[in-house]
Amino acid sequence: MTANPTAPPPVDSEPPDAEKKEPAGSSIAFTATLVLLVGLALFGRRIFAGWFTDEGIRTWATMFVGVTVQAIPFLVLGVLLSAALTAFIPPSFFARALPKRPALAVPVASASGVVLPGCECASVPVSAALMNRGVTPAAAIAFLLSAPAINPVVLASTAVAFPGQPKVVAARAVTSLGVSMILGWLFLATGRGASWLRMPKNRHAEGTGKFDVFRSAMLHDFLHAGGFLVIGAAAAATLNVVVPRSWLDHVAGNLLLSVVILGLLAVLLAICSEADAFVAASLTQFSLTAKLAFMVVGPVVDVKLIALQTGTFGPRFAARFAPATFVVAILASLLVGWWLL
Amino acid sequence: MRRNVAGLVVVFVGAAVVQLATSNTYLRYVKPGMRWMLLAAGLILIALAVVDVLADTRKKEHADDGHGHHGLPRAAWLLLVPIFALLVVDPPALGADAAQRQSPVAAKPADPKSNSWLANNSRGDAPVALAVRDYSVWAVWEKESMKGRAFTLTGFVTPAKNGTWYVTRIGLTCCVADGTAFMVEARGQAAPPKNQWVTVTGEWAEPTRRADGDVAALTVESITTVPAPANPYE
Repeated sequence: MTANPTAPPPVDSEPPDAEKKEPAGSSIAFTATLVLLVGLALFGRRIFAGWFTDEGIRTWATMFVGVTVQAIPFLVLGVLLSAALTAFIPPSFFARALPKRPALAVPVASASGVVLPGCECASVPVSAALMNRGVTPAAAIAFLLSAPAINPVVLASTAVAFPGQPKVVAARAVTSLGVSMILGWLFLATGRGASWLRMPKNRHAEGTGKFDVFRSAMLHDFLHAGGFLVIGAAAAATLNVVVPRSWLDHVAGNLLLSVVILGLLAVLLAICSEADAFVAASLTQFSLTAKLAFMVVGPVVDVKLIALQTGTFGPRFAARFAPATFVVAILASLLVGWWLL
Repeated sequence: MRRNVAGLVVVFVGAAVVQLATSNTYLRYVKPGMRWMLLAAGLILIALAVVDVLADTRKKEHADDGHGHHGLPRAAWLLLVPIFALLVVDPPALGADAAQRQSPVAAKPADPKSNSWLANNSRGDAPVALAVRDYSVWAVWEKESMKGRAFTLTGFVTPAKNGTWYVTRIGLTCCVADGTAFMVEARGQAAPPKNQWVTVTGEWAEPTRRADGDVAALTVESITTVPAPANPYE
């Protein structure tokens, strides 16, 4: 919604008299929304009876609601943490905790991804808060990519999905860590000071109480990320319903092709990182390297994440970052697969 | 989005999540283990919106500094879409339509579970109740221990071409997005209506060979219609 990152948000430029009118306008909007929602709750099914009976549409709706419902607790956890970072931890803490040189801060940030036990929805608001607190963007990006991929919950579920094959867990951890560091350094080399990263706005108004900052930041982040999560969930549900799984069988034989196809599948299906190992394990016709690509790509780039990143860091960032991440993740999977698997 | 409208939307999202978690409706979309996380997330959202509105009103009474009352993201309106879907479409649990989009072929298990306990049941005993998920894999990959035995399976009906039909369950790992259909071809009986829940009893049958692999089968002797279980997934 804000294409130009340098322009001030339009609401700030409203003439002062618009503010005086606010009570009337805002109570009309409030009442209209309330009536709409309560009306839908009471009469929605009767009004729209016979509209959504097609089985394909109902399956789509189940997928869409399912992805959203699954993600909401993790999103709430993410915005809670990010609001707490914004409100209660002074920027000087990160200045001390991370090495001064950005090139060294990147691997430290990657490794600290271990501590956030959630899937990818939680890591986007948290890394935005890190940038906000003065962490160098390259390090925040490294954290964004590593947190959903190498946390203990994800590695444990990978171990359960591939019993007796600890090398798969090792390969996943090594590859994901490597991808997050490479992209952090890549950003350092090419993107420093670039205008295409929309820095998350610092909403920390001086003189406001810490708790006020906390609740403002949390409300804002939830509304923002939640809206984009809905777009991502709709895209994932559509692809889930439309893409027939049978076309996978034709490409399993060719190593390079199968790695790219499973990587694309991970982007399209947007399965959360705690579950993707089980899905990968069920794709039995594919080589371990292709499954590794599925598990490495999924947590760092998928339709749901692209939507969230577009919302948080701007469309021009997402347009560069998603393809770069995809290519690096595929190459790293091929390399580690050849080395370890 | 106005601040008080935003609060209203967040309250509705929170209430919807709490409602899903307190009724059994959430089982249509996610795993049973998610209940407490959903409940916590919903309550946190409601508390956030209520505290925000209260604090905002109090601040207005003192002095309206014009800060923070505007500019909540417009993307938030999209949160009404899943609310609309829940209230109006009332999406059902995944059923035959989702299963028909997948292949009935049983994937080779990564670690064939030991089913040696079957050896303790002498043949000809009462039918063994198995999860469709287990039967669909073992009937193909553990033929030797399954041959000549009777089994009981519970699932919904997925019709296919030429009168073929499958007793089906969907397996979830995380949420419906990763739902995998486990299908057992039911032979010897006419197909009940699509999506009907049934318990079938019958004997192991030689799997059907297809171009993309083998499909588990059962020679059905009796069909009982049953109500859908609270948790439709395996």
